[in-house]
Amino acid sequence: MEQPKVGVFLSDCGKQLSEVLDFAALTSFVKTVPNVTLIVRGSEFWRGKGLQSIIDAVKDKKVNRVVVAESLTKISDVNIAQAVENAGLNSYLVEMIDLKDHCAWPHQKTPKEATEKAKAMLLAAIERAKLLEPIEKIEFPALKSALIIGGGIAGMQTAVDLADLGFDVNLIEKAPFLGGLSARVGRFFPTDDCAICIQPPSSDVKTITHTSRKCVYRSGFSEIPNLNILTNSKVVAVEGVPGNYKVTIEKKPRYVDADKCVACDKCVSVCPVETLDGYNANLSKRKAIYINVPTVHPQVYVIDEDACKFHDCAKCVEVCPTDAIDLDQKTEQATLNVGSIVVATGFKEFDSSNIKEYHYDNYPDIITNLELARMIDGFGPTGGAIIRPSNGKPAKKIVFIQCAGSRDRRYNPYCSGICCMISLKNASLIKEANPDAEVSICYIDIRTTGREHEYYYERAREMGIKFVKGRPTEVYADEEKGKLIVDVEDALLKRFLDLEADLVVLAAAMVPAEGTAELAEILGVDLEADGFFKEYNAKLRPTETKQKGIFLCGGATFPKDAPTASLHAHSAAMKATKFLTRGKIVKDQRTAVINEDYCGDCEFCPVTCPYGAISLVPTTEDHFVARVNDLLCEGCGVCVGTCPLNAIELRHSRPNQMEAQINALMSVNGTSKPLVLAICCQECGHTAVDSSGMAKMQYPANVRVMKVPCAGIVRVNQILEAFKAGAQGVMIVGCKTDGCHYEDGSDKAEKKMDFAKVLMKEYGIEPERLETFNMVYIEGNQFAEAAQMMTERVTKLGPLTLMGDS
Amino acid sequence: MPHHTGKAANMAFSEEVTSRHGGETLTSCYQCGTCASSCPVARLDSSFNPREIIKLSLLGEKEEVVSGDAIWQCCSCFNCQERCPQNVEIADLIYALRNIALEAGHSPNIYSDFASALIDEGRIVKISKFVESKRGEYGLPPLKPVGIEDLNKILAATGFTKPEKTEATK
Amino acid sequence: MKRYAIFLGCTIPARQPNYEVSARKTLEKLGVELVDLDNFTCCCPPPIQSINLESAQAVAAYNLCLAEEAGLDIVALCNGCFESLAMANAALKKDKKLKAHINETLAKVGKEFKGTIEVKHFLQVLMDEIGLEKIREKVVKPLSSLKVAPFYGCHSLRPSKLLQLDDPERPTIFENLLDALGAESVEYRDKLKCCGGLLKGISDETALSLARDKLVKTSKAGADCISTLCPFCFVALDIGQLQVKAKFKEVYDMPILHFSELLALALGVDPEELALRSHKVKADKVIEKIA
Repeated sequence: MEQPKVGVFLSDCGKQLSEVLDFAALTSFVKTVPNVTLIVRGSEFWRGKGLQSIIDAVKDKKVNRVVVAESLTKISDVNIAQAVENAGLNSYLVEMIDLKDHCAWPHQKTPKEATEKAKAMLLAAIERAKLLEPIEKIEFPALKSALIIGGGIAGMQTAVDLADLGFDVNLIEKAPFLGGLSARVGRFFPTDDCAICIQPPSSDVKTITHTSRKCVYRSGFSEIPNLNILTNSKVVAVEGVPGNYKVTIEKKPRYVDADKCVACDKCVSVCPVETLDGYNANLSKRKAIYINVPTVHPQVYVIDEDACKFHDCAKCVEVCPTDAIDLDQKTEQATLNVGSIVVATGFKEFDSSNIKEYHYDNYPDIITNLELARMIDGFGPTGGAIIRPSNGKPAKKIVFIQCAGSRDRRYNPYCSGICCMISLKNASLIKEANPDAEVSICYIDIRTTGREHEYYYERAREMGIKFVKGRPTEVYADEEKGKLIVDVEDALLKRFLDLEADLVVLAAAMVPAEGTAELAEILGVDLEADGFFKEYNAKLRPTETKQKGIFLCGGATFPKDAPTASLHAHSAAMKATKFLTRGKIVKDQRTAVINEDYCGDCEFCPVTCPYGAISLVPTTEDHFVARVNDLLCEGCGVCVGTCPLNAIELRHSRPNQMEAQINALMSVNGTSKPLVLAICCQECGHTAVDSSGMAKMQYPANVRVMKVPCAGIVRVNQILEAFKAGAQGVMIVGCKTDGCHYEDGSDKAEKKMDFAKVLMKEYGIEPERLETFNMVYIEGNQFAEAAQMMTERVTKLGPLTLMGDS
Repeated sequence: MPHHTGKAANMAFSEEVTSRHGGETLTSCYQCGTCASSCPVARLDSSFNPREIIKLSLLGEKEEVVSGDAIWQCCSCFNCQERCPQNVEIADLIYALRNIALEAGHSPNIYSDFASALIDEGRIVKISKFVESKRGEYGLPPLKPVGIEDLNKILAATGFTKPEKTEATK
Repeated sequence: MKRYAIFLGCTIPARQPNYEVSARKTLEKLGVELVDLDNFTCCCPPPIQSINLESAQAVAAYNLCLAEEAGLDIVALCNGCFESLAMANAALKKDKKLKAHINETLAKVGKEFKGTIEVKHFLQVLMDEIGLEKIREKVVKPLSSLKVAPFYGCHSLRPSKLLQLDDPERPTIFENLLDALGAESVEYRDKLKCCGGLLKGISDETALSLARDKLVKTSKAGADCISTLCPFCFVALDIGQLQVKAKFKEVYDMPILHFSELLALALGVDPEELALRSHKVKADKVIEKIA
């Protein structure tokens, strides 16, 4: 490799910095550093003449390493990196420091010490620059195909989006028919339209008119080219990497050939088996061969294998006019190769029999909102009539109980968010059809927060629906009266009510769909404490996971209404295509690399990596070593900090590069005593230093800052090295432990430093010389205070004498 | 009920309660009223309503809560605590409020008798010699001695004070 | 033979020799040895907890220490004693800070709570040590024509998180034991509601209404008698019946018997030995039905 030729570009920010820093002294100092071949002073270097001077220096081959002292390095470095790359030098050979926010402004009152610190910062940048290596872009192929798990409103929306964009889309649904909850709830708020009207027309399918939406059964959904729909199927295994997943699926037999079935219903008419219809909340019966409702999708019948008598009966086989029934169908496995996966598995109602005092399991006239929705649905088990399941008679008095299992620390502590609206919708529909019905809603709070939601509450009151502010303690049956009694205190009146009811409707909590935990395991994604899929970042990345190629949408992350689920679905589709459009994933190889000769197969690093980027692979000698997957590695360096044998290095933050920085920062002290090294993570810690400087908060100039990707990269031996290099105190400044940008690196750093303190004691170094801090960008004052505090602390402790010092 | 105007919620009382044994969960309450409808006493006696007592405590109405009769009407059945969706320890909370009330000199006279019996004999209800003598008749073994000294040391160490009887018999 | 430290509490030796007699006799017949320890004090139930909750907890812990030192689990007869001791036991085992705090006080009398024993209700000892089948075998006078309204009381079940005796909404231990004796359990409304026992002397009107409610509902359900687990419940429903008669002019003639008494009768103990004089409402018709 050629000798490093470092160009140093010193900005005085329009002469602002010269008021504090002695630029003549800085320039003279830099001249003395070996391998510096060019020094340029200027007003700014991130644009204009200044930037041109860097470009020229690179093009003229005067320099092969660039050090720029420029303000707001986090913004200006993008311009400079691009320009340098265009001029022919790898942009990773550029090192930026900020002499304004990290030096001149926070140390305005001590210009001498500020200049000393500036020299140290420049030296550190130069020494590090000499050790930098070019980092190349690496490419990974990405199949232009996607898998969507879950065929409800969200999954179907995402499927259409992706298919429209030209990708090969597979939509897998574990039930025999599509639609999920949408197919069962009748109507959606706030539009009061059919809940199966959830299909925006696909641009590739010729529909008669351009409408805003269509019912699923006539939307041409299954005619969308490059959309492969798999019902009665589920995902059993996922292997591979983002861009290239190999998914094993299991197709349960329908026992009916989809290519032959003409949906004539003859099979149903001869089937001798009747069984309770779970789709209709067991309010009616169906046959062993069935479809849920006439408007199902796909229009192919299915056999319930638990109810069917198969070859002992086979009457359906005899009557089928197209020989579509095949009682010998078997479960099949198949493999799908896809570039990205979207999870759209939705949610379900909480099992209300858990709330024993509500006796849901004892009385058939106590039902849930979903069961009520089946009754209200004209296609449902009662043809739209609101009846008492116990005797089939019309229900005249209906009492809703909100928050059944929600906002309840015994079951689900969260608010499910949509149940107030669901109950208001259902209550209003009942009243509309039966103006004489007496409808009451018992609530803790009424939550109608979305657009047009408040209108539902107004309308309900105007329709004469009664509201009782109180959570009932119990529901029981009064056999004599033949009614259910809801025992509740109206808190506003401070009066006890025994509400009589023909029908009690529980607004049951919404919980993750069946199989969520298993699916999370298969996909390698996290769940929240409440069991729903965990969003990568709730504020900015709600449809992503920490797995690059796996996305989330709809109720799978938390209960939502239809408009929100649609929004979510489109967001997930957009995210899922980001790397699919190019057919490849491109990233910089700023990743960890393991020296396999040193690896001791201790298995710490695969466990520690938050992204599952490290796996153990067998080498030829029947011995395992750890290996980093460059596609999955996010470059945090936590593995580096974990490895007990120092076998891992992070490119662009290698130990020799860090060591050079530490040594340089701790030299040049002059009147700056005592020296404190502050190792700050680039996400929050370093930005807190930025903001303290931007606000001109003052702290001692003997505190010298070094940037790392994540506090978790710091090794215990590096702490000891820092003391050897001349630090009297060391600060580790990271993100808040519950807000670490690399999942839990900040937490790991803190725990490691507890151990470091134990070692320090062994070496005769007071443990108080090391301290961890957690802060965010807007807490710049905390950095200034911490720096001040550490300086005072180590001043009080006196100069450090290490073992072996004379 | 007295009409209060112009007084801001007094945080000091709710903090006083939450710092007490049994009162830790006061602030979890969201006034759903499950406790009130679970309460066998509240239905019969409109002066006693657990939800109301909690609300008054949260608002800092110390005087009304500790000097009133209400907190003494709880029958300690724990139905409220069992059913509360926020795991508020309501029955324990009532004990904490009673402890505070007692320290301020308010309590039904019968508590004075309980305390006397405890301090003097180590029991909540005294066992007369006559009753004790009957034990042999029923084939019951004689009663073992009570650890009265230890008991009183423990009471002293935990600040147990015998409530005084008041003029107005409650 | 399993040994238990029997915790009598105060009310039972003071007022309910019937409970103590039947409990001792039945446990002896069923092969459980009872040990009377020195120095047990009042368990410090709700009335004492109302004066000073911390004192009550510390005294309860003191009693637990006595059993720990003897290496014996405790069997409590009275619901109040069961709740007070079992709650303290569970709370101190779960919460290290609380345990440390209480031990500071206990150190002053040379004691330390370690959390090595269990506190069981009389019913739990029957289930755990003997079991339904063995009890069924030992029954000589089945209660087959007897309709019993089981009344758990409050403190055998609640607070369920700490007491863990049975499902607080749908308990079955009492009914199962009655079934083992050949009796028929009667379902009645509000069966888990409080008897109002602790309100006596404070709010007699409320206390009486609650007692009356029990009598009304058990009578309506056709019960021959009510079976109790707690001396307070017993008094509320037994003496209470006479007070109900005086105030409401209603006669229920509903004998109240502790489960231990029914058990004793079923195991063949001579009624004369059972101190039935303690009952204000005579249990004669129940005894006749069994004989």
